[in-house]
Amino acid sequence: MTATAAPPTASGARRARWRAAVVGWAFLAPLLVLNLLVVLGPSVATVYYSFTDWSGLGPATFIGLDNYVTAFGDAKVHQALLHNLVWFVLFLTVPMAMGLLGAYLLSQVRRFQMLFRALYFIPYVVASVVNAAVWKMLLSPTSGIAHQFGVDQSWLGDTSTSLLSVNFVVDWHWWGFLAVIFLSAMQGVDPALYDAAKVDGASRWQQYRNVTLPGIRPTMVFIVLMTVIWSLKAFDYIFIMTQGGPAGSSEVVSTLMYKQAFNEYSAGYAAALGLSMTLVTAVILAVYQWMRKKGWEDE
Amino acid sequence: MTASLSRRRFLAGAGLTALGITTPSLLLSGCSGDSGGGAGNGTGKVDLWLDIQGDANQKYFTDNVAAVFEKAKPKIDLNTTFYKGEDLRRLVQTALQSRSGPDIVRGPSATQTIAWSKAHVLADLTPYAEKFAWKDKLSSWAVEAFTTDGKLYALPMRVDTMLLYFNKTLFAQKGWQQPTDRASLEALATEAAGQGIVPFGSSNVDWKAAGEWLMTVFWNHYSGPDALRQALSGEIKFTDPVFVDAVALIKSYFDKGWIGGSVEKYFSVPSQEIGANFGKGKVAMVPQGNWFMSQVGQYFGAKAKNENDWDWMPVPALRPEVKYPLFEMGIGGSLAINEASKNKDAAAEYLNWYYGDRTAALKRMAEVPSTYNIPIDFADGDIPSSIDPRAGRVLTSLNKAVASGQYGFVTWTWWPPKTDVFVYEGLEQVLTGKLTPAAYCKQLDQMFTEEKANGNLPQLPAKGSGK
Repeated sequence: MTATAAPPTASGARRARWRAAVVGWAFLAPLLVLNLLVVLGPSVATVYYSFTDWSGLGPATFIGLDNYVTAFGDAKVHQALLHNLVWFVLFLTVPMAMGLLGAYLLSQVRRFQMLFRALYFIPYVVASVVNAAVWKMLLSPTSGIAHQFGVDQSWLGDTSTSLLSVNFVVDWHWWGFLAVIFLSAMQGVDPALYDAAKVDGASRWQQYRNVTLPGIRPTMVFIVLMTVIWSLKAFDYIFIMTQGGPAGSSEVVSTLMYKQAFNEYSAGYAAALGLSMTLVTAVILAVYQWMRKKGWEDE
Repeated sequence: MTASLSRRRFLAGAGLTALGITTPSLLLSGCSGDSGGGAGNGTGKVDLWLDIQGDANQKYFTDNVAAVFEKAKPKIDLNTTFYKGEDLRRLVQTALQSRSGPDIVRGPSATQTIAWSKAHVLADLTPYAEKFAWKDKLSSWAVEAFTTDGKLYALPMRVDTMLLYFNKTLFAQKGWQQPTDRASLEALATEAAGQGIVPFGSSNVDWKAAGEWLMTVFWNHYSGPDALRQALSGEIKFTDPVFVDAVALIKSYFDKGWIGGSVEKYFSVPSQEIGANFGKGKVAMVPQGNWFMSQVGQYFGAKAKNENDWDWMPVPALRPEVKYPLFEMGIGGSLAINEASKNKDAAAEYLNWYYGDRTAALKRMAEVPSTYNIPIDFADGDIPSSIDPRAGRVLTSLNKAVASGQYGFVTWTWWPPKTDVFVYEGLEQVLTGKLTPAAYCKQLDQMFTEEKANGNLPQLPAKGSGK
């Protein structure tokens, strides 16, 4: 004798879905609480404080859009934004180019490839504080590398080279990571495509341009997005190596924001600067998403 | 016992939790009235966060301050946590804002502590000052700097002044005399620079605000304390030529390569390297605060692999109208009580012991040069004979300067907070040619005027001899 279960009723199915949802939310709850505590709470507070005149201590006075108006006309903010732009262009092009070249060269190596991968990766995993401290010494005009070769240049102390010098260190720290990521992506490209290209008489450069680069396009697009976000929140290396100086020559919005909040007791203004940068990032992300929907990533 | 959770209760609970979490951060700034603190019963645990650097220095504090205090007050447990210097102010500030943090607050100097006081995060110390008669124990000029509207909100932690350290052995070898005026100072600097020796070692790599030490020196010894007093009390402007010329003078010294070797090196050579070169005789003099006295020894003698010795001299007068010797006076940091502390009486007991036991305080001053120079009244004869004569000479010189009224003002104590930041941030612009000295002083004056109008200035000491 066989028994057949009665078909679930509509209300029974709804109940099951609800139960599943509640269980899901119950599992998510601890993380949500944590997020509310450390992300959403401070974020909401930052939005509020950006509309106030607040020293960082005590009561805040609501001043509407004054902080944003001030930021709009603040020469220091303009200079910092310009530095962010320079930083962005360099950070986007130099490590990407080096990463692509490094990955390609590494893909041609059969022996010791793992060793090279590890060596490329080391700067990325070393703490930024350590990297920055070491490079500060290496760039010293009286005891650094260049000094040993008779060049008496103050890389971090000269207003014309300070931003570029810090950017060089950040690029150095970042490119090896990109090389390893690109290498992994390159290894995922179908070998048959290379065989077909060779049969068609394609040179190495043509293979690279027409097979490799299109093959790793999704990875490249993702890395570009990451780079954009990273360059907008550049802070640690600059703060450790130059603190935005000398004379603001390496100041970016994040270091300026920090100084406003903690040195000049203008936490409300700092919140407005932070929120402005968040909006810029959001716009870039929105454009990215829009382009993805248009199929830019998969072309 | 088991409890069931209905969907409605679950959702309601989650909503309330979210609300409960997000609202306090917004309300924090508004709750200046009820601190949640209390006086306690004068016993129990008292938390203190300090930024003392180095194992030896921390051990000295633990053995010679905390342990001695706990022996004197066995019912109080002084719980000290050591933090790295530059971050402590920010950590304390954040903790105070959230109505937590240590019972005893190690704060910045007078000018910035005003902001904390105005936010009502520091306890009013006036009742304790009366109870323990602190005004009789501490120098009045220093206590008044931390008094606003008749209320005392902190106690001065260390007396600061600027000195000109010099390589004594190098001076003897070269037959150089200690300069006392601008002419002799510039003659010496010219000669040193001609011989490949950097006349004045200085760097802002490790401490961004080091520029204000230099401005303090030039404004006091060129512009003079009388002009500074007038400017700080609003009688004259910082755009007065006497201040602009001082800035131009400092720039000219930089342009000649006299300070740090060059502007670029001042921004890029760390202070350790400057110190090492000072010990070796590659740097002749270092304009630095008296706090440098506890570090300068490491660059000289067998430990530093040289046979040189150091000493200090008063900064020469840079204009005939300015008296010599002259010592600028200021406060390095403060000690206050957290308004949110639940054990204020015990915290006050510590402060009373720290400032009130003259013998112990003088012993600390003698044992660790300049670090524990609290502004208490003492005669020269009270200083323990065990003190390094150079450190002893600082104490007697400061006593004499206050008694004779021949003292000036350090920027980090008597300038309001934003203006104080501009003093060294703006100086960088001047040194790199982005601002003229006149434009620098104009911006400085605008900021100062605004902050002064908001009441962010500490009380200046009365003119003439002080206590």
